[in-house]
Amino acid sequence: MQNAKDSFYMALRTRLSVLNPERTIMLRGSVRPGILVEEAEAPFSQLPNDVFVLRWQGLGVDMNLGSTMAADECEIVYQTCGTQSFGGLDRGRALSEMDEELTKMLTPFFTPKFNYTATPPAQMLTHVFWDEPGFTSAVVQRDRLGRSAKVMVYSYQEQGE
Amino acid sequence: MSANWFSAPAPVARRVRAYFAPVNRTAQIPVIFDPSQQGRFADDAPPAPWIDLGWIQNFERKPTSKSAAVLTGIPAAPQEQVRETLQAQVSFQFLSWTKLTMALATGSQHMNLLLAASGAAAATDGAQAASAVTPQSGSTATSILLATSDAANFAAGSMIAVDADYAGQTGFVGVPVSGAYVRQALTDVDYIRRVTFNVALVSQVTPTGLTLCEPLPGGAPAVGAKVQALTGFVDREGGSFYQEWSALFVLEGSQGERIFFHYPRLQATSGAEETMIPLNGKSQSGQTRVVLKGQFTALPVTDPLDGERVVCYRSFLPAANALV
Repeated sequence: MQNAKDSFYMALRTRLSVLNPERTIMLRGSVRPGILVEEAEAPFSQLPNDVFVLRWQGLGVDMNLGSTMAADECEIVYQTCGTQSFGGLDRGRALSEMDEELTKMLTPFFTPKFNYTATPPAQMLTHVFWDEPGFTSAVVQRDRLGRSAKVMVYSYQEQGE
Repeated sequence: MSANWFSAPAPVARRVRAYFAPVNRTAQIPVIFDPSQQGRFADDAPPAPWIDLGWIQNFERKPTSKSAAVLTGIPAAPQEQVRETLQAQVSFQFLSWTKLTMALATGSQHMNLLLAASGAAAATDGAQAASAVTPQSGSTATSILLATSDAANFAAGSMIAVDADYAGQTGFVGVPVSGAYVRQALTDVDYIRRVTFNVALVSQVTPTGLTLCEPLPGGAPAVGAKVQALTGFVDREGGSFYQEWSALFVLEGSQGERIFFHYPRLQATSGAEETMIPLNGKSQSGQTRVVLKGQFTALPVTDPLDGERVVCYRSFLPAANALV
């Protein structure tokens, strides 16, 4: 299941770097595309603005199939204060921009599964695939506007996993 | 003193496993299952020639035999009963799409889409196929030895069909499973390889031949067999051929007890039909699983034990130490 989670994250990260190369984050001394996996970073006292944060939640498995299918629920959280140059008055537009980016990042709804513990990463035999995102209402926290989207990510367990 | 028995309640089972075996259509001989000797086989390793089709869902079996009372006296009262018709139906959904599950879930021939010859005219069942190649002696069920020039026509990950050339014969064709019934002579030399169940996936290609991911259902290629690449499968709504297989359904209870339903002869009743099942019950518009729906009519056999005609055997192997 970890390979599926890694592949989903890397697919979104690659797509984001093409969609909006300027959305970046400085993390652990390096500049990276503005998307991260919460459980793979040091705990945040407050989630960073203007980046997508992947939070893995529920898990289900269907063991009746020829290959066990795993369903990982991923919450993608993002928030923004807008830009300083507009005094934060563009925070609604900035959130809309992130909504659109996320929608585009999730299309197409599949990606090849890779084993990222190998160097170089090894492509596996199956694809990871997911549902359309379910967006929540926007949440206002003082000057911050945020939202999350939940996506069910499916994958088949391969031999050796 | 410790107890050495318990009173077992009704079995609790979560799922049903299906196994099928080909009926010898020419000789009209179904495959038997002997629960007294074979009842404790491992799920993944059924006794030959049964083929494991994995777990199925929505398994439903329905006896449709009809009995009638023989009335005598005034006023008339039942004196005894007679069985007027002998029938049973089985339906379920397959959880995989393979050559065999597709074939079982369709009412007619199930064909292989042979790799088309370069420039061949379009055809609904697949165009004229690229030439077949002849396996060399020493080939086995998992290793097809070929001339180097022939091996170069295949790639790892491709699928192959292995069977004889069609030579104008009529009747049931295909080894080891009768894939079709030819009523009048045809002209397609590849016809048997179009309908054969003797297919496999290639895992490796070497200058000396092909290594297969799983054994060919028919074992080592027979004399006269040839190999052709295929790209997929096709079946049709209509036609006059009915698939007929022996079937075995197994329920394993929570205490290790086993229930078997053995249908010596099952024929597909309906045409190809699929059911769409959402993966996420909360998201009806999301990803859906497309499952094959199989509906079958059980046909009778004569039990050699006492000459009775029957359509199904139900066997029960109780849990260890359960009172009987």
